[in-house]
This record gives sequence, structure tokens and C-alpha cells, in this order.
Amino acid sequence: MNNETNNSALQDQELIEKFLKDTTLFLGPDPEIMRDHSIMPRTSDEERAMDKYTDLNQIASIRDRLQSACEEGFEMLEQMGAAPGAKWGDIITGIYSASGDLTIGSAGGVLIFNALVHHPIKFIIKNWVDEKTVGVQEGDGFIHNDARYGNVHNTDQSMILPVFHEGKLVCWVASTVHEGENGAIEPGGMPSMAETSFDEGLKMSPFKVVENYEIKRDLLTFLQNSVREPKLQYEDMKVKLFACMRLEKRIKEVLAADGPDALTACLRYTNESVVTEVRRRISEWPDMTVRTQTIMDSTLRENALLKVCLSVTKKGDRLIFDYRGTSPELTNRAINTQLQGMKGMVGQVFMNHVWPDLPRGQAGLSPVEFITQQGTLVDSSYAAPNSQSLMSIFHSFTVAQHATAKFLYSCPDKYTRVLAPWHNMINTFIWGGLNQHGETLGNICADLNGMGGGARMDRDGEHALSPIFATMADIGEQEMNEEEVPFLQLVSKKMTANTQAPGKYRGGMGYTMIAATKDSDQWGFMTTTQGSKVPTIQGLFGGYAGGSYPLCKVQGVDVYEVLLENPQLFKHSIHEIMNEQPFPNARYTTHHMGMGFDISKRGELYMISQGTGGGYGDPLERDPTYVIMDIEEGLISAEWAKKLYKVEFNETTLAVDLETTEKLRAQYREQRKKQGVPYAEFVKKHVKDHPPENIPFYGAWNGDIDTVYAGSIHDKRDAKNTGPIYMVNPKDVRIAELEAKLAAVRKDAGLPPENERK
Amino acid sequence: MKRISVDIGGTFTDCFVVWDDKYIETKALTTHQNLSLGFNEALESAYTELGLTMESILSGVDSVRYATTLGTNALIEHKGPRIGMLVTAGYEAMVPLSRGRGYGEGLDELGKQNLPDAQRPAPLVLPHMIEGVRERLGFQGELVMPLDEPDVRVKIRKLVDKGAQAIVVCLVNSVVNPAHEKRVEQILLDEYPSHLLGSIPVILSHRVAGRKGEYVRATSAIVDGYLHSTMYHAMSQLEQNLRSNKYDKPMLVIHNSGGMAQLNSTDALQTIHSGPVSGISAAEHLAKEADLGSVVATDMGGTSYDIGIVVEGGIKHYDFNPVIDRWLVSVPMVHLVTLGAGGGSIASFDRMYNAVAVGPKSAGSDPGPACYDRGGMSPTVTDADLVLGYLDPTNYAGGHIPLNPKRSVFAIEETLCDDLDVSPIEAALLIKEKVDSNMANGLHTELRVRGYDPEDFTMLAYGGNGPLHCCGIASNLSIDKILAPPMSSVFSAVGAGNMHQMHIHEMSLFMVLYNDNTRKVFDDYKRFNDIVAELSARGQNDLLRQGMKLDDIRYSLELDMRYGNQLVQTTVVVPKHTLESAMDVMNILQQFSEDYGKRFGEGSQAPEAGIRINTIRVASYVEHDTVHFKHIKPIPESERSAPPEPIAKRTCYFVSTGAKATETPVWHKNDIPPGTEIVGPGIVASDVTTYLIEPGWKYVSAEQGAVWFFRTDAQN
Repeated sequence: MNNETNNSALQDQELIEKFLKDTTLFLGPDPEIMRDHSIMPRTSDEERAMDKYTDLNQIASIRDRLQSACEEGFEMLEQMGAAPGAKWGDIITGIYSASGDLTIGSAGGVLIFNALVHHPIKFIIKNWVDEKTVGVQEGDGFIHNDARYGNVHNTDQSMILPVFHEGKLVCWVASTVHEGENGAIEPGGMPSMAETSFDEGLKMSPFKVVENYEIKRDLLTFLQNSVREPKLQYEDMKVKLFACMRLEKRIKEVLAADGPDALTACLRYTNESVVTEVRRRISEWPDMTVRTQTIMDSTLRENALLKVCLSVTKKGDRLIFDYRGTSPELTNRAINTQLQGMKGMVGQVFMNHVWPDLPRGQAGLSPVEFITQQGTLVDSSYAAPNSQSLMSIFHSFTVAQHATAKFLYSCPDKYTRVLAPWHNMINTFIWGGLNQHGETLGNICADLNGMGGGARMDRDGEHALSPIFATMADIGEQEMNEEEVPFLQLVSKKMTANTQAPGKYRGGMGYTMIAATKDSDQWGFMTTTQGSKVPTIQGLFGGYAGGSYPLCKVQGVDVYEVLLENPQLFKHSIHEIMNEQPFPNARYTTHHMGMGFDISKRGELYMISQGTGGGYGDPLERDPTYVIMDIEEGLISAEWAKKLYKVEFNETTLAVDLETTEKLRAQYREQRKKQGVPYAEFVKKHVKDHPPENIPFYGAWNGDIDTVYAGSIHDKRDAKNTGPIYMVNPKDVRIAELEAKLAAVRKDAGLPPENERK
Repeated sequence: MKRISVDIGGTFTDCFVVWDDKYIETKALTTHQNLSLGFNEALESAYTELGLTMESILSGVDSVRYATTLGTNALIEHKGPRIGMLVTAGYEAMVPLSRGRGYGEGLDELGKQNLPDAQRPAPLVLPHMIEGVRERLGFQGELVMPLDEPDVRVKIRKLVDKGAQAIVVCLVNSVVNPAHEKRVEQILLDEYPSHLLGSIPVILSHRVAGRKGEYVRATSAIVDGYLHSTMYHAMSQLEQNLRSNKYDKPMLVIHNSGGMAQLNSTDALQTIHSGPVSGISAAEHLAKEADLGSVVATDMGGTSYDIGIVVEGGIKHYDFNPVIDRWLVSVPMVHLVTLGAGGGSIASFDRMYNAVAVGPKSAGSDPGPACYDRGGMSPTVTDADLVLGYLDPTNYAGGHIPLNPKRSVFAIEETLCDDLDVSPIEAALLIKEKVDSNMANGLHTELRVRGYDPEDFTMLAYGGNGPLHCCGIASNLSIDKILAPPMSSVFSAVGAGNMHQMHIHEMSLFMVLYNDNTRKVFDDYKRFNDIVAELSARGQNDLLRQGMKLDDIRYSLELDMRYGNQLVQTTVVVPKHTLESAMDVMNILQQFSEDYGKRFGEGSQAPEAGIRINTIRVASYVEHDTVHFKHIKPIPESERSAPPEPIAKRTCYFVSTGAKATETPVWHKNDIPPGTEIVGPGIVASDVTTYLIEPGWKYVSAEQGAVWFFRTDAQN
């Protein structure tokens, strides 16, 4: 082909592209934006500014002021926010470069929120800046919550403001709050009943809701009209706007004092410096590959085993996270996550658990590479519902935490302690209905923040310390909660005994919650976690995994009547209530923790427990003194201690018999050796060609990442094109079971089948 | 007026004596084994100067007042009794779990971020010393489950058997209905009567803190119980000492609420941080006396930088849930924020940003800065100050601590110079610039987050390093007026000398002034008025019990209000103490709206979401005579005199002039009479601090040892 033909082809291509652009039906999530977590290339403005400003101490001074501004905005969100999430720290503020990269985030709060908002900002830059019907002007504000455009899940809402200097856009600011209620099929914003994305409530792609620093009343009304808590929607949109305005004000002070180029240089230097430092730290890690996995034990609707795989390879200054082999996405279940949500959570691993000294920006994760298979739980399609994305996000976190611990252990320069995986599920109550003041509410108990910490290389894990996604989060005060919700936690904070993850150092434990509705006849609860059958986390270096935690219910009782008339019947622990069944005629049941929204009657009990972090090291190496301390504190029973730690002691005085303990431990070690077999023999005996027939398994088997199972050994699919996987509604499953039973009964009774009866 | 006020700190006991028109400031080392020894030594210097005796001065004063950090130290050192605790059954882990976030309370940002390192502080109550009692009350105080009295007796005995020396009781919702807590107390007294040797003190949470929040109330009661005997014995020693030296009036103790009371009307918890709070009180008094307007009080010492705000017009800033040591508690304490920046703050190389970082780690006083020559190898702010020529190595801390500049240069070179490719002087300038900027940022955030502009404030700079760094800090802000106050070395003691006798009583409640559901405005005036009357009566009784006259008692009514379900509660000071009409309610709503708008921005108010009162608080107080500071105002420029000849010249380096050496004149403070103006650069040294006049600033001396700093380009 000659040049003329080439030019002609090029022109044709441009024409077609222009035509396609002009005729775009729908500006959905843009893969070019959504699949890229790295910082943007330097712009010419940034080049010029960095040439002009080379004094890194001046840059540092500006950065400190911007950091201080983020803290100020954070404080405003926390103080003024009406959502329970705002009060217990499920919020954040951040400053983004003109290209949309997150550069500086508030020290407190949920980093992943910030780390994902760069996607909607980049969407706005790409689509709305030059769009004549939208545009981006000073005083504009954009709202957003749809995870598919860059968010964890739709219950978090962000407000985004552009910052201008003399008519030129110089950066962006944003604030995000876990709002809870969002008009979904179930109250509280995280519906596990969602079977399509249209069951998930508000789905706000980034759109302009603020002009001239004022919220547009028509749009506000539309949004209020779409959710169960119009008051919350109003209050927190305003709060987020004013927090952003405060950030904007502070940035304008920097612009006035130092000029726009200094600000631009500061933002760019900051991100590039972090990328350089992260590469340097990665290069300190040993070159190797670590493989790990976790198993999800439910879809929140039904039992299933769904695999999350991770292989981490470090070579030179490259670090590659390969999630292939993970379960395919479920077409009508809400536990799928978008790729960016999974990446954001891996960012949390690095910022909170590996290099907590790093500044909380996007650059920390920028050098990390990801390989995923599209159409899996951790990289789901646009159509897949994701309102319970936390499930796959949290498992993605745990495998990342488990794998990185092995690199850190082998690396002389550590920036914090090596630790076993943190508990990773939000074992708490989501609630909704009409409260005692006549207000419609839908939200969540702060107990989600009480996840048990993993055991460390030199000390036990801390009990119910913090969620994996935030620091300094709060599990709240019941006296405050009870003013606003019509239920009591009759047991609120009592350690759940014998749920320890043993180890040389044990994991931090969780606590029991027993809730019962009191002052409303329109109220209900839901719970949305996995791990009622299979632990969701592993231990480390011989430490045990955490426990599994069911939901227990007692129905057919008004416990408030019992408490007044026969108070001695009430027990303050799940195991006593479930084992002794003290209330006559009540129904005692156990369930997995994926309870859909359940209308509760006054005085019925809902009982759950927060979870435990993983153990570290061999339990036989645990100092017997610590074992006894755990007994004294009611964390474990004497029987449990003897069984798992092989400690001999006097059960009355708790005096340890060290000699016998040593003997018992030595015996047990010998027993272990006898049980042990060479690796090849072990593989031969234990590794099977396919998953068990009677278990609905999803994911790759035996390392073959090209093929995945989809719930049955008879349903093997090409990992690159799995096709839809529809689950049957559990109610239909139950109906079918009952119909089969009925048919059998009728047959036994000599009656005709149901459909033949007149 | 004749008065003695004392601030007993961890190291020094500061004493301020007012004897008619004479103001005397003295110091002695704190004697922890018996606080009265240090007090007597400090007082001896004062009465000797006045030509009096111990007995004559003590019999002549109207009062002796104590502020003390004794309680804080006892907490840090973990010196307290073995406490047993009774909580509502089902809440046994409430205290050990410390709301999750308790691991990070009182730590710096990195400590809060670093989850794998997180470690809750050693508990004041061991987990196995906590027992649950079977009872439950609802949020309005309604009975949910009756108190199981036999269970209470069993649990008490269990705790006593395990060695409890004091018992703290914290039952859910006891602030709205204390019946169960009171009954537990009666049972405990039944079991262990107070006349018997085995009696055990009992502390009921609702008596220590009147606000909702079972965890913070529990920690308040625990801290109170933990410190009770230590404080009681120490304060009793002091009181006994006064009695045996002819002081026959009640001893007064400063409270962290900004008031004071007699010893028998003081909880141990109320004394925590009373020293720094007294400093803020002194700032408030100074601001009023000298028409300073709004003031930000800053105290820069060796390890920390304390910031307090005093706003013109009397708006008080309280922390209702302050952190004491590592514990989040519930007590209305005058707001005070502490940053980890002081002379001992360690400078390091920030590899990530290729820049200097300062703090939050501190070399403290042992080993201290490298120049102390006590083994410290890390460069600190004081090392930088020394290298830059601001400090006299032979006359630091009145000559008590000789400084070795070579150590400073070595530490700076080793830590920073190679990495940054700068000279020691340039590195020292970067340290000075960084620490000043850190403190300015902290101060800036502190003011801005409350809705104030720094330019509207006068900065008060005290503490050992305050006058040395104040110009640098103010240069980073838009503050152009600084006052190094009179008697700055005993400033907290001066504050104690100006306190009023005060008691605060408050009640948590759910009072809706505007109901967004029903769209009704509050009209139950009797309920409101009865509560205010009850709280006022309690304060009145407290003061009458201490011998105050009924006519002298004044009241201040404060309402903690909020919009909708927000967390923030804005304290509104209400001039009218009774509600009689809708207009009174509207006035409160209007005032709330104005205060809220000032802080968060006009238009941020959300009355549509409902408005309610969460706490009603009445401060009952009696005003006493105060020390006068009227003469410290700067004299007009035209009347100012030139400084005398400097006693020396020193080569200094300043941030604003870079690494250029500047010959800087040095004076001794004693040689500078009031009304003298010195244009920077310059140094004025005293035995307790160094006044650094940076280029662009001038120094104006005033009466009573006060010093003003003004920007040279500002009107003053």
C-alpha cells in the first residue's frame, strides 16, 4: 500500500470513530478508565510546574497544608454526617490531580473509598468537561455511587468538586460516606436478595447535582424520593458538599500563597515519589511466587463453595497479583465485585497492613500489576449485581494479606509486624423499618468495625479491633444507638468463648451480640456474611484459622415479657440459650449468616458473633501462662485449653504443671510425626481429579485455571467464557422439596398427584 | 488581694503569690514522695522575698489553690488500686474492647494507622475483674429487666475474693435512671459496711459523668476510681501541711472544666490536666484584662505543643470526650490539643519525599537532644536552634544544662546532610522551617475546624520554647501579633490564681425542639424549666456547702444541640434560663443556627432534618477577685524607646534569609525596660527562655515582664 492509501484508511478510521462517538447511546463505565489503577502520565502542565518548582521542602510544606485540609474535611464529615457510617469513621476526603489521580487522602477513614473515586473523576473529565449539556464549571458538584463507575458498592455516595484557578481546572476534591440506605430491594443499602443490578437501589453514574455551590432541589427531591431515608439523603449530600467546599477553600489559600504551578508540582511530585518508594520496597522482597486461596461458603442466599485464588509473583521491582482460577461470577447473586473494587481492597492491604507509613494515595498501589479473568467474582461484568461485593472483596483482601505476609517474613526491612490474616467479615446486624420516633430508617450496626486482629510474629492478635478497611473505626455506644433504633442489644459486648484461632500467638477474638426488637412493629434485621461453615481466613505458619459463626434465632417468644416476669430464664450467651432452650414453646433455629431482610416480632432473638483473626505459629509453642490468662478472662474453657494447647493445669487453682505439659506436647509432636507422610504420598492420597460430587463448587480445580467448575462436577466451563450462571431462588428450591415430599406422602396414602386433584 | 496559687507538675512545682500589689513567681522541684515539701520550698522563696514567714503568709492569704498533673502522672505510671467492676450483664467486654478504636487513642497518626502494631494500653481494670450483673434499663430509663440482687451479692463477693480494692459500677442507661446503680451501692455497703476495716470504696458511673455513652462513662468512673486514693492521699498531705502552718480556709483544687472547688467537692477525674487548663484560663483572663480579643494560647515545651482557644465573647470550647493518657472519657474539659512538637522533636530524612521530617518522635529530656551530651544521637529541634545561633551554649536553662554544639552539628550531618546534599546550617534551617510549619498547620487546623480565621487571633506564646519559635510559627499563618505573657514561666499557676469557684451539672436527654416528622415546635416549657432548675439547685448546693453566699452565685446555661442524626453537638450558651414562649424557643434555634454556620459554613445548617437538645448543662459559679494585667498593653509606637547596647553579637541564620550569616545582637531580658522596641533580627535571653526576634518582626517589652512581637510591616 502506498502513502495515499494509508492516509485514506486513516481518515476513514477517524470518520468512523467520530461517527461512533457522536452516536454513543449510553456512556457506561469505560474499560479504559475502569481497568487502570495506575497514576496518569505526566501532563505538560505538570512537566512545566515540576521544572519550575524543584525545592522539595517547599513542596513538602504545601503537601502538609493539603493534608491538614483533608483532615479538616474529614472532621466535618465525621461531625456533621447523619449516617451511622459517618459517625463511626466510614468516611474519607481526598484531593485529586487535574488528571484525576488521588494524591492526598485524610489520615482517618476508609482508604478504598478514596482510592476508587479517581475512576468517576476520570469519567467526568472524559465525558462531561466538553459535553455542552453538562460541562464542568466552578461551583459545580457531582454525585456518584454506582460501583461500576468506581466504588465499593452502591451504599457509599461521593461528592466531587472541581477546583479552578482563574478559570482553569487545577485539581479535584471529593468526600465519601457510607450512607447505608439507598432504596434497594432490602433496607440498609447492601441487599443480598438483589438478583439483578436493578434490585440494588440508586445507581448514580457521576452526574451534576450542584451548581454554584448549591444542591439542585429538583434532583435532590428525585433522590430523596428514591430511598427510604429522605432525611439522610438530604443531610449527607449537604455535609459532603460543605466538606468539599472547605477543601476547596483551603486549596484556594494555597493557590493564593504559592500559585497554581506550585500546587500542580506538589501533587505530581507526591504521587511520583510514592511510586518510586514502593518500587524500591518491592525490590527488597525476595524473588518468589506465593500461592494461596480462600473458600466462600455461601452466596448469602444458599450454601456453595466458591474459590478465590491468588498467586503473587515478585521479580525485581515487579509485583504481580494473579487472581485467575477464582470462581466465575454469579449472574443473579450479589456477591460479585468489579475489578476496581478488588484492586482497591488490595490497596488497603498495603496501606494498613504492609506499609502503614505510606501516605494514603493512589500511588501506593500504582506499581502493582494484576492479572484476572474477566467474568469472575473478582472481575465481574457490567450486568452482574454487586451490592454484596464485600464478600469477594474481603476474600481478595485475605488472600493478599496471607500471601504478602510470606514475603514480609523473608524481608529484613519491615515497616510493621508480620501478622496472620485479620477477620474479614462484617458480622453485624443490618436493620430497617420504622423506629420509635416514627422515622423510617435503614442502616447497619457499628459492630461491623469489631473484626478481630490477626496474631503477630511476637504477640497475640487484638480482640475486635478494627475492620480490615479502616483505622480508628468505632464499634459505638449502645446507649446512643438505642435513642435512635427500636431494638436493644441485650448482649452487646461479651467475648464469645472458645472461638479462638489458636497459635503460638492466638488471633484476636470477636464478641457476641443478641438483639431483639422492642419499640416497633415494623422492624427487621438482616445479616450478610459468609463463614458459617468454612472459616473465611487462614492462620499463618502453623497458626489455626478462625472459627465459623452461624446465625441463631429464637422465635415465638417476647423476651421483654420474659425479662420482666421470669428474668431468670434469660441467659446472656448464645450457647446457653440454644442448648438449654429456656423459653417454653419458642422455636430455636440456626442459619448461615446470609439472612435476607427478616421482619422481626417484638422480643424475638437474633444472635451472632463477631469473628476471630488467624493464629500465628504452632499452638504447641504457646506459653502456658498465656493459655491460663485466656481461661481467666473467659476466652477459652479448661477443656478447650487442654485439647488444643496440650497444657496441664489444676482447674481450681489454674496452677500449670510445666513438666506434664512438656511431656504432653512432646507426645503430641510424636503423634504428628507418625501421622505425617511424604509429600508425594500425601498428594496421591488427598488430591482428587475433581471436586466432590455432592458439593456445589465454583472455581478452578488442581491449578487448571483454564477450566472452572460452575456448581457441579458435570458443569465444567471455559474460564475465558463461562456464560451465565443462574442460581435458583432458595424459596423455589424449598417449594420443590416440599412438593416432592407432599407427592411422596400422597403416593403413600394412595392419593393422586397434586396436579390431578380437583 | 493576697493569694497563693500552685501548679504541681511532673518536674517543677510552680508557685505564684499575689501579696497586694506584689506578684512573685517561684519554682521548686516537685517532691513526689510528699508534695508539700516541694510546695513549701517554692513558697519559702516567695515569703522570704516578702519578708514574711510561712505561717504569716498562709494565715494572711484569702486562698491557696492547686492545679496538678499528679493524676495524669499516676495514670501514666499505672499507680492505682486493683479495681473490680460491675457492668450490665452482656457488656462484660465493653471496657476491654474500648470501642475498637481504643488502641489508637492518645497516639500519633502513625500509631493509629499501623494496625499490625496495634496494642491496646495495659488495662486499668483487668478483664477477669469485670463481672456482669443481671439487670437492664431502656433508653428512657424504663425497666427492661429488674436488678437481680442475689446475683449482685455473688458478683461483689467474687470481685472482693479476687482482691478488688475499689469497685466501679457502670450500668447501661444509668444516667437517665440511676436506681439500679444506687441499689448496687446499697448492697455493697450492706456486705462491706463503711465502718469496717474491709470496707471498699464504690464509684457509681452516673455520679462521675452525666452523659450517655456507657463506655466513656465507664472509663471515666474507672479513671476516677483508679486515681481516687492516690489523689486523696497526696492532696490530704497538702491540706494537712497547710493546716499545720496556720492556714484555716478551705484548700481549693483546680478542675479541668476551668473552675475550681474545695477538695471535698472534687472528683479525681476533674483534676486531670488541670495544669494546662489553668494556662488557658490565664490566657482568658489576660485577654479580657488587656483587650486582646480572641487568643490562641500556645505552650511549646520539650516534647509537646499545647494549643488552647479563647474566643472573645465568652464562647467556651470544651471536649466532652477528651482523651486522658490513652483513655477516652466523658467529662466536660476545657478544650486543649497537644501536638508532638517541641525542642526534643527528632528530625529525620524523609526518603520518600527527599525532604526533612520532624517528629513525632521525641528525644525527651533523657537522653535529650544531641547537644545535651547525654548520649542522644538524633538531631532535634533544639540542636537546630543551637546550630543556627539562637541559643547560648553556656547559658541554656539558666546555665543548668551546658550544650555541646559539636554534637548538634555531628548529629545533623550524620542524619541529614548527605541525603539532602546540604550543609549543616542549611539542614538546621530546614528543621526550623519544618517544625514551625508543623505547628502552624496544627494551629491552623485547630482554628479552622472550629470556624475561626487565624488572622483574627492574637497568639500567646509561652513554655520553654514558645518565645523562640513563635515568630516562625506566626510567619506561616496570617497572625501578626504575638504576646509572650507576663509570668510566663509560672503561667499555669497564674491561671489557677484567677479561677472562679464553679460546678458543672449536666443531664443527657432526648428533647426535640423541632420535630421534622410531625413538624411541631417544642412547647413543653415546664419540662425544660424543671431540668434547668434542678441542675441549678445542684450547683447551688455545692457552692453553699463550701460556704459561698447565695447572692454571689451565678449560673450559665448551655445546651448541646444537634441537627437530625448528626454526631456534632454544638454548645449554645443561652442567656435566658427559662422558656416561656415560642419566641424563646425560636431564639435558641436562631442562636444555634448562627453558631453552627460560623463553624461549618453559612448554609450548612440542616434544620429541616429536625433539631434537638442532647444535653442541658448548668455551670454554677462564684466570681473571685483576680490578678490585674492592665499594664501589659504595648505603649504607642511614638513613646517607645530604643534598646540599650547589646551585651553581645552572635552569628545567626534565619529561614527568611537562607544560609546567609547574620550578625545578630543579643540582650539580656533584665536589661530591657518596659516600652523598649527592638527590630529583628535580635535575641533577648532570659534564665527560662529565649526570645527570638526574626527578621520582619519586632520586639516590644511591656510591664510585668510581658513581651510583644509584631510584624514590622503591620500597624501596631
